[in-house]
Amino acid sequence: MCFKNLPIAFDEEGNAYLKEGINDPYEHKVVDLGLEQDKLKSLMEKNGFIRSVDYDPVTRVAGALAFHSIVDLEQKKVISTNSMATLFRGYEVILKGRDPRDAAYISSRACGVCGGVHATCSALAIEMALDIKPPPLGIVMRNILLAIEYLYDHPLHLFLLAGPDYSEELVKETNPELIEKAAHTKAKNKDVHGYETILDIMKDLNPLKGKLYLEALSMTRVAREAYVLIGGKYPHPQSVVPGGLSVTVDITVLNELYSRLVKFFDYSQKTTGIWDDVFDFFLESNPEYAKCGIRPATMMDTGVWDRPDAYDATYKNCDTWGEARWSTPGVLVDGEVVTTKLTQLNAGMEEFVEHSYYEKWDGHEFKTDPLGTPLSPNHPWNKETIPKPGKQSWRDRYSWDTSPTWDRMPMEAGAYSRMYITAKAKVAPDSKFLENTGHSMKIHVPRHTLPEKTLEWHIPEHWNAFERNRARAYCIPYSAMVAMDNWLLAMELLKQGKTKISTKFEIPKTGTHIGFGAWGAGRGFLTHHLVVEKGVIKNYQIITPSTLNAAPRTPWGVPGPYEEAVLNTPVLEKFDKPENYKGIDILRAIRSFDPCMPCTTHIMAKDSDHMITREVTTCACGIE
Amino acid sequence: MPPNVVVEEMNWGPIAIVQYFQTLEIPFEKVVFLVALERPERQIGDINIYKWEGNLPSETQIQACIGDAATGVISVENLLVIGEFFNIWPKELYLLDIEPGPEMAGEHLSEDLKAKVPEILETLEYLALNGPRDKALVGVLRGDELFNKKENAS
Repeated sequence: MCFKNLPIAFDEEGNAYLKEGINDPYEHKVVDLGLEQDKLKSLMEKNGFIRSVDYDPVTRVAGALAFHSIVDLEQKKVISTNSMATLFRGYEVILKGRDPRDAAYISSRACGVCGGVHATCSALAIEMALDIKPPPLGIVMRNILLAIEYLYDHPLHLFLLAGPDYSEELVKETNPELIEKAAHTKAKNKDVHGYETILDIMKDLNPLKGKLYLEALSMTRVAREAYVLIGGKYPHPQSVVPGGLSVTVDITVLNELYSRLVKFFDYSQKTTGIWDDVFDFFLESNPEYAKCGIRPATMMDTGVWDRPDAYDATYKNCDTWGEARWSTPGVLVDGEVVTTKLTQLNAGMEEFVEHSYYEKWDGHEFKTDPLGTPLSPNHPWNKETIPKPGKQSWRDRYSWDTSPTWDRMPMEAGAYSRMYITAKAKVAPDSKFLENTGHSMKIHVPRHTLPEKTLEWHIPEHWNAFERNRARAYCIPYSAMVAMDNWLLAMELLKQGKTKISTKFEIPKTGTHIGFGAWGAGRGFLTHHLVVEKGVIKNYQIITPSTLNAAPRTPWGVPGPYEEAVLNTPVLEKFDKPENYKGIDILRAIRSFDPCMPCTTHIMAKDSDHMITREVTTCACGIE
Repeated sequence: MPPNVVVEEMNWGPIAIVQYFQTLEIPFEKVVFLVALERPERQIGDINIYKWEGNLPSETQIQACIGDAATGVISVENLLVIGEFFNIWPKELYLLDIEPGPEMAGEHLSEDLKAKVPEILETLEYLALNGPRDKALVGVLRGDELFNKKENAS
């Protein structure tokens, strides 16, 4: 049984039911965060070395994230954390009352990097709600499009956003003792990346000037070129529609795609080699780095990349087509897979707003999913977005982000969760280029200018900042090889003359129809929950990876993933006086999640069509 | 427009624009960006011309510009700085900066702005072919001054 905290049980035939005899089955405790704040205040008054360390905004992340921490600079540990999304996201409000066909175009604007996954998630939600099955070529080309979007996103994270934290320039400032050592440590993967020592790599990680930084920028161009061949535009594709894609695909398009994809073969080998070398160096130099950003491997992912012979868009069959995906949907609790079924993933989801700037909603319209599995009143299909801007307070409300949970546990999300769950669960069908062993994923990368090679990502012993980033590097070959698998399928479909790429549909003007799109972003887990009534959108709820990762505390006081990861992070930075403390270890922990706040938080469109305002509270100074 | 003038829709992110310029076999002698940005104390349709004078802000600021650009922020200031950093701009780079008025829902220009389109196009053409009509009315933009307010505040 996958649920330990929600009141959902299963009979012998596997049908879910609500446990009987519980007065208020979805009741939850609400703790007073003020007690902890009182203690902290008193500690800070007594001890000058206990200090507030605020990052507002956290730089080198996408969008508006602020982070408050209280650090004991003598004991070298973090004692309190608060993660703050500082802008309101209004997409749920904007989409209400609109034609469902608008959803893909509008929700795509939720992010300037991963517009394609939002559009796709939206299309999937509509396909489920209105029973629209795309043709095989539509499914396969969608897979390629989104694999390519990840190939834009992963290098960007690794070299432009998180990468500079491991560069010579930054390490020299925060941990100069490592520079001398790096100069004398041979790089193990010189055969694929060409660097003699770790310091040579670190120099080329330097922002703006380093060759690796500049190369990543140019690889984002290669990915964008490939992307627009299918999507028409980047980052907001014009061709993603419910029922497939609105683009013509022929052999020329596939050849053009291939000429871009092959560039990621060598780049995959190079990138994994570089990050293996850099992270092994840090972890071997000081084993305490293993605690940077550490938290249990408790995470979830929707899975992505549908099999054309399995995907039929229905909720009824979503467990089957979900498990057939190239990446397996599922939930991992402390490193163990507890489910790979989309119905269970969906049923376990709740969103809480006790520490967020929203009002609690009333009502519980959908007591079960379409198959009879009980749903909480806090489930996205039941949730209503009611913004309530207010005073920022660590004791009460401090974020525009909500606190999503699965089975009442905060969940982490990332591209790495996609790989972790797939490797561990071993339920994904065999693939030409990928092999899941239960403890690793083997990725067979074909020859380009480098000889072919089997790369192997191993599930790590500790889940920390370094392993998040290492796994992200392996997501480059993972995504590239899924794209290749699908490219071969597309070629085969064209050979067979199966060129139909979308399915026509009508929007029913009567009845209530519900669906959810489950398709991970470059940064992991993404769902769009949709309710269509009388032909228009009645409710629309988006949960993004950063909604999960940047979450404030749950009502019962459990910190969100950023908050927990930073709480566990030791201060390993070298500094002579508190004024010179930069907080690199905290920043490494946060950036390893690849925060992307634009899709966590957004602009609010007021009742008037003509007014767009921003509700911004960013300054953490003086907040209690 | 004469054959040596290229008109390109460039409603892209700064990195994509910079990479477009990097791949040009024959670099442009002059570039004019037509932009519409809501700025305080302007009337709808107001036309401002700025000449880019180069110079870079701090490395931290350049990194921030690139980070923003790569994560989807479309900003003309970021574009100018990133282009300067990658050394892609010709000697003459102008910004024809139009006041569109408050942002509204929908695809169309407001009536007020629509009425100014002929004047905007005429100014654009003249600027592209001959340079500014009155140099005294041309503002100056410099990378090391663009973000001064922000950098000092932080």
